[in-house]
Amino acid sequence: MTIVPAGIHLMAHLSAQAVFKTYRLGRVDVPVLRGASIDVDKGEWVAILGASGSGKSTLLHILGGLDRPDRADRQVRAENGSPRRGRVVFEGRVLSDLSARDLDRYRCESVGFVFQFYHLLPELTVLENVTIGAMVRRGIAGYHGAAPQARARASDLLDAFGLSPRLRHRPAELSGGERQRVAIARALMNDPPVLLADEPTGNLDRKTGASILDALESHRKATGRTMVIVTHDPDVARRASRVVRLDDGRVVNA
Amino acid sequence: MYQVLLTRRYLTTKVMPLLAAGAVMLCTAMILLVWSIMGGFLEMLLTSGRTMVGDVSITWPTVGFGYYDELVSELGKEPDITGAAPIIEAFGMLRLPDGRVIGVQIKGIDGATYAKATGYADALWWKPLTTPLPRDKEHKDRRLIDPDFFRKAYADGMSLRYQDPQTGAVRPAAVLGLEVSGFYDRLPSGVYVPYNVGERLENGTIRWQDGFMVGKSVTLNVLPLDRKGRAIQTVSRSFPVANEFKTGLYDIDKQTVLVDLGALQQMLKMDKAERVEMSGQDIYGGAAGGEGGGSAPPVIGIAPARVTTVLVRAKAGVPPERIRRVCLDAYTRFESAHHAQVPGVPGPGVQGAIRMSTWEEDQATFIAAVQKETVMVLGILIFISIVATFLILAIFWAMIREKTKDIGVLRAVGASRLGVASLWLSYGLIIGALGSALGLALASGIVWNINPIHDWMGRALGITVWDPKVYYFTVIPNRVDPLKALLVGCGGVAFSVLGALIPAVRAAYMDPVQSLRFE
Repeated sequence: MTIVPAGIHLMAHLSAQAVFKTYRLGRVDVPVLRGASIDVDKGEWVAILGASGSGKSTLLHILGGLDRPDRADRQVRAENGSPRRGRVVFEGRVLSDLSARDLDRYRCESVGFVFQFYHLLPELTVLENVTIGAMVRRGIAGYHGAAPQARARASDLLDAFGLSPRLRHRPAELSGGERQRVAIARALMNDPPVLLADEPTGNLDRKTGASILDALESHRKATGRTMVIVTHDPDVARRASRVVRLDDGRVVNA
Repeated sequence: MYQVLLTRRYLTTKVMPLLAAGAVMLCTAMILLVWSIMGGFLEMLLTSGRTMVGDVSITWPTVGFGYYDELVSELGKEPDITGAAPIIEAFGMLRLPDGRVIGVQIKGIDGATYAKATGYADALWWKPLTTPLPRDKEHKDRRLIDPDFFRKAYADGMSLRYQDPQTGAVRPAAVLGLEVSGFYDRLPSGVYVPYNVGERLENGTIRWQDGFMVGKSVTLNVLPLDRKGRAIQTVSRSFPVANEFKTGLYDIDKQTVLVDLGALQQMLKMDKAERVEMSGQDIYGGAAGGEGGGSAPPVIGIAPARVTTVLVRAKAGVPPERIRRVCLDAYTRFESAHHAQVPGVPGPGVQGAIRMSTWEEDQATFIAAVQKETVMVLGILIFISIVATFLILAIFWAMIREKTKDIGVLRAVGASRLGVASLWLSYGLIIGALGSALGLALASGIVWNINPIHDWMGRALGITVWDPKVYYFTVIPNRVDPLKALLVGCGGVAFSVLGALIPAVRAAYMDPVQSLRFE
């Protein structure tokens, strides 16, 4: 059943409302997000721009269901009318209300992550790294029957990113740009409606970074997929359809 | 599915899982090796200890009981019984050819019936051999030569009779435990080679002779008792040695002397005799009630010959309790025919009842020691398994730390906590199965070839771990019990999974964000 809390932007495809997040480093609490809110419409490409430590990656992780927002403290709630706990809503479903199993399914089917450092599994080939999402989604019994289709889709995605000759290669045998394209293919394997990219060009030279952005952009145009990209680089952010600035854990313009 | 793929890849591309599998392999191999050899050793001990006794013994110690032939006949009618042998068990002193006098346990036996009730026929050592012992590469066993001599020695041993080659006279003979004389050097091959034995003569000179005991004479001294258990007078008798026996159990082989039953009955005054009216005199001489008269006391009956024990051998597969019950029934019939002349039937509160016990009951102390030893070994093995579990745990802990980022990636693409835990558990299962299979193969290979390996170690490295002079078995047990192998294999797998459990739970509960940021 879908329950949309009051105050949630009903048209948003993916929405975060008054999200707080504090990490504890030793004995010190370090607030990272202080009531950040963002709405992303379907098919929109939003860039979250902010300095290092502004909380943009944390916000992305929370949007992707990898992390959960904190409860807002009483004083903050009194000051700005924040809900008791920050909410993330995807297609009308509040992520914090989902069971662990449903949240796993959300990460598997609804979002795809691209990380700055690619995070490919070094023991697997390029093709296996891409199909791993399908394996997770279908389980042992389900994947057995669907393996040929999964491999065909992975091959198509890799072909689209110019990696056909590299299917049997290990990540260590690829360049940084190639690795990131494999990571993008992996994120798209289960055809998620939302792609979340955390500094996808941060570890690449400018030319390679540009080619990655080109690939992402052309893919978004072709599929109309919602895309949220986190970056500290204004040039990268400029390519998005909308830029959201994050400063000291708060969205300063959305 | 990703669990299968990653397990396969981690196994083939990482050193750590191979180390873990190696640890499991060594542990399972060690456990199976120790268990097989120790278990085999204990089994051999038990088998050897049983060689000279039946399944049930019916005993009235020292004084013995009469009409035993009727009891043997009664027992012989039972379909569950294959043999029953009357014997006398007593203690005495034995004078050896070199002049030493040693304390021994004496058994008076009838060779034919004793062989039916025990493993006596196989225990006789001096018999013709057509093929040498497996480790007697140099053919030093004298049983390989002169088969006629050893054929006769074997027949003499079975009958406990010895025909003097010079006079042709046939005399009751003795059969000694192979370690009784101490005249043999036991070679690592299991062959017994006699020493040259010197005997100091009265004129002070030393006469050297071959220590081979067959044909030599020994003197047995026993102290007979009357029916009331009072000592009469020491009796000495010389016996030619017809043969020697070996059970494999040192205590028995070192202390036991077998002699002809009839001869021992005579020595112990347990043979058939006339019963006389003593009327105030006792058998110790001396007048109890006046000066002894010159006339012989009147004969008032015949006292039957006596034995102390009847050994019973059951048919294969008959449980000890059942054969004990059969014996009890037979003895009850026997006792009713000779009421008040033989010990009573065992029962609750019955005084003066015959003692009837199974082999297991007789050897309870020994069996208990064996069982305790087995429990101790199993305890040590379980401790080793726990150590192996911690080893697996440590290796898996390190592996999971190394693969922290992979865990974050898997969680990011939607893997559940259970899925991540099952990845590491299945990994532990595979490592356990692989390590156990290799361990079982290694241990089986070693156990099956333990004797050639031991021989090689002795030749090439001068290391003799299993010294037959210490263990009194010529060969190291080399059988692998499939059930033990299965248990050890399953244990290896189970302990591997157990070792992987805590790291797997830790992996499952890792924060995916922290995992992805892990450096």
